[in-house]
Amino acid sequence: MVDPRVARFTAPVAAFATMVALVMATGAVLFARKIGFDGGQVRAFYLGAEAGFAEPRSLAGLLEVAVPHLLAVPLLIFVTLHLVAFASGMRRRPFALLAGITWGCAGAGILAGFAIRFAWPWLAPLKVAAFVGLQATMLAWLLLLVAAILPPARGASRSGGLTGSEAAPPRAAR
Amino acid sequence: MRFLVQPNPAVMDRARPPVRAFLGFAALLLVGWVASRAAHGALTPDGLARILEPSPGERFGPLALWEEVHQGAFLYGFLLLTLGSLLVVCPVAPGLRNGLVGAATVAALVDLLAPFLHVVRPGFPGWALLRIGAFGVATAVLLATVAVAWATFGREPRRTDG
Repeated sequence: MVDPRVARFTAPVAAFATMVALVMATGAVLFARKIGFDGGQVRAFYLGAEAGFAEPRSLAGLLEVAVPHLLAVPLLIFVTLHLVAFASGMRRRPFALLAGITWGCAGAGILAGFAIRFAWPWLAPLKVAAFVGLQATMLAWLLLLVAAILPPARGASRSGGLTGSEAAPPRAAR
Repeated sequence: MRFLVQPNPAVMDRARPPVRAFLGFAALLLVGWVASRAAHGALTPDGLARILEPSPGERFGPLALWEEVHQGAFLYGFLLLTLGSLLVVCPVAPGLRNGLVGAATVAALVDLLAPFLHVVRPGFPGWALLRIGAFGVATAVLLATVAVAWATFGREPRRTDG
């Protein structure tokens, strides 16, 4: 049975998880259509290409995309990880490892565009790897979140669990 | 945020002013969102069709549509999480709470995804009206949620409701 303190939040957390899944899915489509998953396409996107009459990206253009993402992406990750820590019984080390990969991919993904444009164009594969890593780990976080709030199948035991009492805030099991 | 997991009268009392300030800004965001769509002509079927008209070769719909869904889902996600979580510690019936969150979520999804009906089947009748109506329902339900939370937050804190 799901902890009743968590069960009360099932509807808003499920709505949030659905919308985050939509954000990630549309982000993948936008990445594929605007930039592409090939190193050459990424370089052409940032450095311009004669073939498509594409101009190199300006600093203002890069900042226009990066600044909102510097608020939105960390906020999304922070809240999602917080909810997983609150609701699931995930152990500390795997949690920290997965969180580190997510934060690292998010930072690298946002900053790689500047590096490709102004420092070293051969970092293009890093941009793709960071994006794929962020998508994959966010998918994992969402699955963990859904698993934590959905009632388990009849007869199935729940892995992990909440510690703490009714009077104390729940914590992820260490 | 302690009031979400440990609601007690003292904590709820302290939390009420910032919660009400947040609710005020949430209402402003919703009103601003409606005004923004109206200003862009997205609240009429003709205007919506013009905005979301794909360029030649855009087989999967215009990029503007994908960007709008990307940003819209982010906004809806945080509004649903924050307003829905606040309702949990308000003295409202679980049925009303889940009904508001459920109705807002379904309307939000229809609002975001209805234009794809036109992408999948060009000429799909009524997709624009469906989208405009769903946006109206989602906004109205979220504003109602704000109003309920504003009126009831901290009034009669309860610890559990199952």
